[in-house]
Formats: sequence, C-alpha cells, structure tokens
Amino acid sequence: MDIIQLSWFQLAIGFIILLIPAAIFRWYKTGLNRQMMIATIRMTLQLLFVGYYLEYLFEYDNAWINTAWIMIMVIVADFATIDRSDLKAKWALILPIFFATFLGIILINLFFLEVVIQLPTFLEAQYAIPITGMVLGNCLRSNVIGINDFYYNLKNNKERYQFYLASGATRAEALYPFFQSALKKSANPTLAAMATIGLVSLPGMITGQILSGASPMTAIQYQIMIMLAIFSGTILSVFLAIKFCNRTVFFENDMLDHSIFKD
Amino acid sequence: MIITGKNIHFSYPREPIFSGFDFSLKEGEKVVVKGESGSGKSTLFELILGFQIPDKGEVLYKNEPLKSTTLHNFRTQSAWLPQDLNFGDGTVQEVVQYPFRFKHSGNSMPKMEQIEQLFSDLGLTPETLQKTFSDLSTGQRQRVGLALCILLKKPVMLLDEPTSALDRASKEKAIKHLFSDSQRTILSTSHDPFWIDRCDRVIDLDNQI
Repeated sequence: MDIIQLSWFQLAIGFIILLIPAAIFRWYKTGLNRQMMIATIRMTLQLLFVGYYLEYLFEYDNAWINTAWIMIMVIVADFATIDRSDLKAKWALILPIFFATFLGIILINLFFLEVVIQLPTFLEAQYAIPITGMVLGNCLRSNVIGINDFYYNLKNNKERYQFYLASGATRAEALYPFFQSALKKSANPTLAAMATIGLVSLPGMITGQILSGASPMTAIQYQIMIMLAIFSGTILSVFLAIKFCNRTVFFENDMLDHSIFKD
Repeated sequence: MIITGKNIHFSYPREPIFSGFDFSLKEGEKVVVKGESGSGKSTLFELILGFQIPDKGEVLYKNEPLKSTTLHNFRTQSAWLPQDLNFGDGTVQEVVQYPFRFKHSGNSMPKMEQIEQLFSDLGLTPETLQKTFSDLSTGQRQRVGLALCILLKKPVMLLDEPTSALDRASKEKAIKHLFSDSQRTILSTSHDPFWIDRCDRVIDLDNQI
C-alpha cells in the first residue's frame, strides 16, 4: 500500500484550517494571530528546508556527511538548551553540553542502528537522521529540565552543599543529592510518556510509518525501540551534560561560579 | 596555633568586611565571635572553610596555608553548623547518616542508639528520625544540624548560633557533648550568655583594627 502523494495545491488547502484558531483568537482578542502567522511561516520554511536537504542527504548517503549533519543538529540543540534554560550562554556551558549531547546521541545511534537494526550501510541516512531527530528533541527538553534543576537547586541550597564539603565530602559526594534530584526531574516526563503511550497518545512515528505503508506491528516495533532510545538517550545526555559542565563551572575551592546564572 | 588568619582583606562588591584582620585559635580553645550584623561573623567561617577566598592575606591550618590542595584535608577535620539548614526531602535518619558515607572523610557511622540518645538530649523525639526533614520547624532543623555536628566528632567545629534553638536543659547537654573533648577547637557565634560564659575567649569583630 503506497502513500498518496500530496500536491502543493493540496498542502495549501490544509492551511485553510487555520481560520478556525484564527477566528477563536480574534474573538477573544488574544493577540495571538500575529504569533500564529509567524510560527506557521517558520514551521513551513524550516521543514521545507529540511525536506530539500534530506533529499540530498538521502541521495548521497555518506556516513561522514550524515555525521556532520547530526553534529549540526546537536549544535542547534545545544544553543536551544542554553536559550531555554535560565543560564547564561557561556562557553563553559555551551561546549560541555555539546560534547555530552553529541556523545550521548552517537552512542545511542550506534547501539540501535548497528546492533539492534543492523543497517546494511553504516549510519544510513534514512534511519540515522529521523531517529537522531527524535532522540535529540527529547534530549533537549530533558537537558533543560535537568541542568536548570541541578544548578538552581545548588544555588538555593548552598548551605547543604557547603555543609557536606565542610564535613569532608569530595565535590562529587557533596553534589550527589543534587544529581539525584536533577535526574529524577528530567526522567519524569519521559517515564510519564512511556506509561501512557498507546493508550492516550499515538506518537508521530507510528502515524508516519503507518501512513507510508508500514504494517501497524512494524510501526509499533519501531516505536518501542525509539522509546527505549529516547529514554536512555535523555538520561545519558543529562548525566554527561552535568558531569562535563561541572568540570568548567566550579572554582578550585569547590564553589560554583555564579556568573552562569541569568538573574 | 591550630588556625591562624594573617592580614585578611575581604570585601563583597561595595561592602568591605575585613581589612588587615588577624586572628588565631589555639588547639582546644572554645572561642565566640561577636559583632553587629554584617560585621563578618559568617564570612569568617566561610573564609576558614575556603568557601570564600581572601582578597589578600591567608588562613593557615596547623601552619599550612589553606589552598585548593590542602583544603579537602582540612575539611575532613572540620564540622560546620550554619544558621539556615535545609537538607531536602529525605527522612531525618537519611539526612543524619548521609555524611558518614563519604569515603575519604574519616567519618564513622554512629550506632542508632547513639543517635537516639543524642536526639533525646537535644529535645528531639526518636520519631523525628522517620519524619521528612523539610517538614521540620526551623528550631528542629537547627537541632538536627547540631546533633549531626556532634556525631561527626571533628577536632575543629565552626558553629553559628549553636544554642539558639535549645532550652536550658538541652543547652547543658549540648555543651557537655561539644566540650567533652578538651582537644576540640570550637569557633562560634552566639548571642546566648549561657554559651558565651562557657567559652574561653571572645573575638570582637566590631573593634577589629
């Protein structure tokens, strides 16, 4: 069963549906129509750009080019993480978060693409790019939650951290409870999603695969795999991001550099 | 001298605290620091523990300057009671036992009976151990913090208002526990005459030159 190809005209018709939210926003004078227009234009242009790019990427299908593209995706996610967090865009955070996310993504990709799926071509674009995109999007969200929680909790409970240090703890031992809290907070959204998936929500990956002709069971198998990848990828990247950042944001006397905070 | 501060200069942005301050503590001395609010009592503790670095001058422990390399070693010999403590959402028992799990600290885990006896001496019931730390009142938190410092049995203690949350009977028992080791050096802040009277000496920060 092949997917029905959409013409540009058909896609354009799809935009008509926006008249409904636009009318509701207007009626309630929310002032959101301008924002909706900008968001819609951005979404369309960004996706069209990615569409054209992916066409080329799939055509060349070279592991090096694919890795370079993954790196670009990680760089964008890295800056977005800092932007959405309440921390300043300092190299002391940007670089460690980049390395942590990149390392996390590569490890997860290698495991699922090469060990589980066993791709015939190394890092094949058709698999590597969408899976990276899905894992990365979730890593971004978890990194924002985890990193924010870790450093703000440490800032707000400075006495607890200092008490442990004053009692002979190493820096890692004194930071342990803060790590615990950050990991719990960042794991919660994915754990909640895993608990309700299929019952409440039908994820985009299943929808996309079924639409493009895959059998529902194959789509489900991929979805189970992607949930495992997302969960382990997010936890790994949060863990590595905090570990790596901790090497750059503390002074020699174990005190946190408060210039990382926005406020 | 066990702890010495030489020519300490320290200021927060637009707030000078110390300019050329000297102090020294003999081993076993029980000293109380007095001074107006903002005179630098808590800052002095933070300078000794290396949480703040002097702009000029140095702090020495057993004649060795406290630097990043020697700081951890000093901290294995110290205990600190700040005024405001929040150990989070764990039970009081978990909170009390946690510092005894630090591998290179030399802290040895106290027995449960020992913890319960000390709690009772400080006016805390044994049931407090099962409560969530963040549910305790400020006074109870302060007493748990003090109990923890006593259990750590360190040769150097820096205590911020150690008796402020205690009644008379508990104060006597706390002092008995803290002062039992004649080799222990205690630097404290206090407004409590009961505590001040039992210390050997007062350092007055308002009259520092």
